[in-house]
Amino acid sequence: MTSAPSTPASLLTPEASRALGEALGDGAAVAALRAKGAGTLDALAMPSPALDRPWKYVDPAALDLDGFAPPGTAPSISVEGQAAEGLTVASFEEAGGNALERVGEAVAVDGDRLTALHYAFLSGGVLIETKANAEIAEPVRLTREYSEAGTLATPHTLIVAGVNSRLTVIEEYRSGDEPIAVLPAVELLVGPGAVVSYTSLHRWGARTRVFAEQRAVTERDADVRSLSLVTGGRLVKSHITSSLEGRGSSSEMYGITVGGGQEHVDFYTLQDHVAEDTRSDLLFKSALGEQSRAVYYGLTKVGLGARRADANQENRNLLLSRSAKADSDPVLEILTNDVTRVSHGATAGPVDEEELFYIQSRGLTREGAVGLLVRGFLGEPLDRSALREGVRDELSGLVEAKLTALGSGA
Amino acid sequence: MTEAPLLEIDALRANVAGNEILTGLNLTIRPGEVHAIMGPNGSGKSTLANTLMGNPRYEVTGGEVRFLGQALDGMAPDERARRGLFLAFQYPVAVPGVTVVNFLRQAVNAVRGEEVPVREFRQELFQKMELLKVDRDFARRYLNDGFSGGEKKRAEMLQLAMLQPRMAVLDETDSGLDIDALRTVADGVNALMHENMGLLLITHYQRLLNYIKPQFVHVLIDGRIVRSGGPELAEELEESGYDTIEAAASTA
Ligand SMILES: Nc1ncnc2c1ncn2[C@@H]1O[C@H](COP(=O)(O)OP(=O)(O)O)[C@@H](O)[C@H]1O
Ligand SMILES: [Mg+2]
Repeated sequence: MTSAPSTPASLLTPEASRALGEALGDGAAVAALRAKGAGTLDALAMPSPALDRPWKYVDPAALDLDGFAPPGTAPSISVEGQAAEGLTVASFEEAGGNALERVGEAVAVDGDRLTALHYAFLSGGVLIETKANAEIAEPVRLTREYSEAGTLATPHTLIVAGVNSRLTVIEEYRSGDEPIAVLPAVELLVGPGAVVSYTSLHRWGARTRVFAEQRAVTERDADVRSLSLVTGGRLVKSHITSSLEGRGSSSEMYGITVGGGQEHVDFYTLQDHVAEDTRSDLLFKSALGEQSRAVYYGLTKVGLGARRADANQENRNLLLSRSAKADSDPVLEILTNDVTRVSHGATAGPVDEEELFYIQSRGLTREGAVGLLVRGFLGEPLDRSALREGVRDELSGLVEAKLTALGSGA
Repeated sequence: MTEAPLLEIDALRANVAGNEILTGLNLTIRPGEVHAIMGPNGSGKSTLANTLMGNPRYEVTGGEVRFLGQALDGMAPDERARRGLFLAFQYPVAVPGVTVVNFLRQAVNAVRGEEVPVREFRQELFQKMELLKVDRDFARRYLNDGFSGGEKKRAEMLQLAMLQPRMAVLDETDSGLDIDALRTVADGVNALMHENMGLLLITHYQRLLNYIKPQFVHVLIDGRIVRSGGPELAEELEESGYDTIEAAASTA
């Protein structure tokens, strides 16, 4: 890593935060957000594996942010599908003061040093907002691309869905082969009766390290569905939370990881049932080739007030090579005894020999049978994400490309 | 009958998990013949079926199996299938994420050795589904995933119908079927059977044989055939049970 000297965590200082604001000149509202982050920076510690459950399986030190500096220019973002009645898609700079009031409502500024860093160096914020009853047929699509070696990127996506509105967002992250650190934050504020589908495509380069924080908060009868697809990255640490705060609201979370090389993907999920009659479902799957590693640590929390909660949580891992490794750790925390259902399941292992024999007995070669099993295995969360056909095909194309790249070495 | 045999099993011995289960089994099946193997639980019926299909968990320790004149020893299961051997499993495995239609298409292409055009394939599939009286939405479900016992057996029969094998082994296809379903499945199998095909029905009960009539009935006990006869043997078994035959066999 030539562009990143080894000592200076000092590159990410409050002064650097101010300097970034001056360089970007992206308005007072964004500057105020940065100042909030910068103001808490020195007071907050990095999370620790011993004290912070989401970091049980990986030390945040592995992100190795020392030496990364904020970029000198605004990041590249492309947006498709923004022209629709009742829909606003705007950069934080364009959106301005009042529209940004809800930034930080789901992903708090002062969570820990990493979220403080995110806000202190915020750039590339995008607001996607729907008015009440707006039904946005076309998915809104954001593509964020990073290529400058040694930089810290901090994209922020704030999704605010008005009462009874419908919205689909697809966010694609890409980076090149240079060392890059990215701290994305995604906030989903889902209004009463609104239905939001959010898909993130993590197509990171082989030397990119990521800590992504995604949190949805649902109001009464709101439904949120998310899918995270990871097909690359050196270390991808992702926290995904649904806070079911409105009565009768629901969350579905899906995750797909196709791992290869030295990739390390670590998901922490939280299905947080706060209100009554809330439902949540989760299915995270990974297929791991070569020396890749996946961690899944997920918590289903049913609070005292979450009577008649219905929660399901499932993590499945397929090991395609002897050197691949998966840790799976689903946890239940139930404070009320009036639940409809709370269930969880976890598996990790190689392709099942009896399944292979069954498929082979129908004429497919062993290789063909493995391929069919793996594609079926990963196809399930994709099917359940209920994305429109074109998007689904695109995603299965990404999965396919990664599996093909793994080839027989998988 | 001078026609060359489809399947010749010659003094077959096989181990499962280190235990010898098949202990010298002989059986010859010619084109157009329907055979039934009956035997008590644990006598080795499924072991025979799995060994014929080449399940790697079953180890052949002696004897030989020839299919269409070719020794099967060391042949991968998929090659056996492509040569026209078919096993309807007693306990079919679920394949989540793979729909019945997708699975069948890949299997049909593999066995026929060519890409069957989608339109043609669908037409054939719907026709076979009608034959076996399965709903159209069946095709969109994940194979055997959450299927009832009866649905699994029908899915096996649908595969049989689509793959059109030369030799089909049906391992307890009757178990888990109510009488109406049994009749439908039997009608389907009878319609698919033809003079160049062989059929081996493996069953614990005589019930299935009322609907699919075998010309030959064999009794399997402790991993070998202890008696063979015509359809009347099935009735005798139904009346006197396996114990009498077992006793007679062990004193013979
Ligand atoms: N996978 C296995 N591992 C260990 N023993 C097995 C296995 N499969 C079958 N067996 C044993 O082999 C014997 C024959 O079983 P099987 O062929 O399934 O009988 P059947 O189909 O006639 O009921 C039984 O004693 C059974 O316990
Ligand atoms: Mg059996």
